[in-house]
Amino acid sequence: MYREFVTVLRREYLKWVRVPIWVASAFVVPVLYLVLFGQAFDLDRLFPAGASGSVYVSRALLGAPDYFSYFAVGMVAFVTLTASLYSGTGVLFDKQLGIHQRIVATPAPRSALFAGTLAFRAFSAAWPAFLAFGVALAFTGVPGLVGLSVRPSVSPLGVGEILLAEALLALMFTALFLSFGYVLDSNEAYFGITTLLNLPILFTSNALFPEATMPAWLQSVTAYNPASLAVNVMRENLFATRGYPYPPEVYLLGLLGWAAALVALALYLSARSLRVR
Amino acid sequence: MSDAIGTEALGKTYPGGVEAVADVTLSVRPGEIYGFLGPNGAGKTTTISMLTTLLRPTHGAAWVEGIDVTLRPEEVRRRIGLVFQRSTADETLTGRENLEVAAGLNGLSPRESRPRIREVLSRLDLTDAADRKASTYSGGMLRRLEIAAGIVHDPSILFLDEPTLGLDPQGRAGFWEYIRDLRGNHGVTIFLTTHYLEEADRLCDRLSILDHGKVLATGTPSALKETLARDAVVVRTSDPSRDLRPVLERLPGVLAVEAVPGDGATRVEVVRAESFVPVVVRACDAAGIEIASVATRKPSLDEVFLSMTGREYREESEGNHREFAAAFGSGRHGGR
Repeated sequence: MYREFVTVLRREYLKWVRVPIWVASAFVVPVLYLVLFGQAFDLDRLFPAGASGSVYVSRALLGAPDYFSYFAVGMVAFVTLTASLYSGTGVLFDKQLGIHQRIVATPAPRSALFAGTLAFRAFSAAWPAFLAFGVALAFTGVPGLVGLSVRPSVSPLGVGEILLAEALLALMFTALFLSFGYVLDSNEAYFGITTLLNLPILFTSNALFPEATMPAWLQSVTAYNPASLAVNVMRENLFATRGYPYPPEVYLLGLLGWAAALVALALYLSARSLRVR
Repeated sequence: MSDAIGTEALGKTYPGGVEAVADVTLSVRPGEIYGFLGPNGAGKTTTISMLTTLLRPTHGAAWVEGIDVTLRPEEVRRRIGLVFQRSTADETLTGRENLEVAAGLNGLSPRESRPRIREVLSRLDLTDAADRKASTYSGGMLRRLEIAAGIVHDPSILFLDEPTLGLDPQGRAGFWEYIRDLRGNHGVTIFLTTHYLEEADRLCDRLSILDHGKVLATGTPSALKETLARDAVVVRTSDPSRDLRPVLERLPGVLAVEAVPGDGATRVEVVRAESFVPVVVRACDAAGIEIASVATRKPSLDEVFLSMTGREYREESEGNHREFAAAFGSGRHGGR
């Protein structure tokens, strides 16, 4: 089990590093968002200081010191989502190229095949988010750029919660898109579905915009969106927050539920795909 | 000694009622090169897929080294190697890395697999190319890498599905050498499907001829030819309108005489063609018929097939992709 798991991990890793554009885009895209979108679209600058609108914005940010800081933490969820979109392509291409057949014909435990793929893909979806976070923090030292300011004393428990939230988010998005790879046979269908899901998942979350600015019906969706749950955990821990209805642990529980459901779905579909008919 | 592979009325009917394999009963002895010959769509790939646990039979049973393929597929997978019709190499990885993955998925530790991979690479003449990406390999090299991936875990039985599809005659002959070496020097039992008559004839110890999902005949290539096809002498005269049948039918030792349709030639089936040539020449001389040419035909598997199905055997280059796609639900039919 262990050997086969490591073999799958290593294969995924080799395939990933052999296509440098994947690695590069995982690095460049979040930075571009932070530099271009994040710097230009700053809710704070739309209102003069002290104006009633500005006060409203500040209240909507639930304790984040400025919009960029609010946005930069939301970017973590967005980058994770983007990086996980292609999680299912490996399985999809393996099926089309006949490689899937060779893998299925080996005595390797099916659970090892699934777990190895999920683990590597989840890891490759998670790390660009940390990178984006680091870059946003570093912006505070760059003249002319707004950076991410967090409160000086984040507890070790808080850091642990943030890491767990990110890991769960990467795991569930990866499991979701991996499921499509197992279930679908055509590239067109795969990319159609990912395109269809990508923006709705993002825009029904509070990753980029505060919930307070949304209509009531959207707010009720946003509250349950896993991307919202993850950024809630992060923002509550990183900023001197006020106005969140629940402590971070509650949101973590929600994330755990989402992750369990989506991993179970992926497991079921992979078993179907790896089974002899 | 018990059979390496055995089946009993094995069959597969797909949902929707398409019967890909109707009734296959066979037994393969250890150390044998066993061929499964048939035209496209005969059910070869479906049969090999059932034997290798990639497809579940809908009726009958199959055993590999005495192990039921449906009851203990993992045990079967541990004992067999597979060479697929299409290349299954990961082209972004090197040849060596492809073999490392194959070895790892077969449960070999890096310590076990390293010397084994070196040996397999050298046996298949891939040592120099081992650290190049498989995307740079030629068709023949990819085929060899495919065999290497099939034998890296040292299986006792190797299944090959149309292994020489798309190879030129030279590549095919070289491939046969590797297969003979595997059997001869390493005692591996070989089960291969092919739709090339020559391959079945020259490579296999025994073979089964398959058509429409049923085994039509089984035996050594020479036994099949001796029992099911005959020597023939083909006679052409300078006057194609002249009917030779009355002259030839009366000769001693003649089994059958027929006019070759549209050719003006006459075909005489006899026990031994060479010794019958002077008889034909003398008889025609005596009847005042001028002979343009006389040719002898030895029995071939083509004629075996013809005698059993009433139609000629056709070798097509496209292979069984359609069957493969039906079996595995893959959308891609084109070969590589």
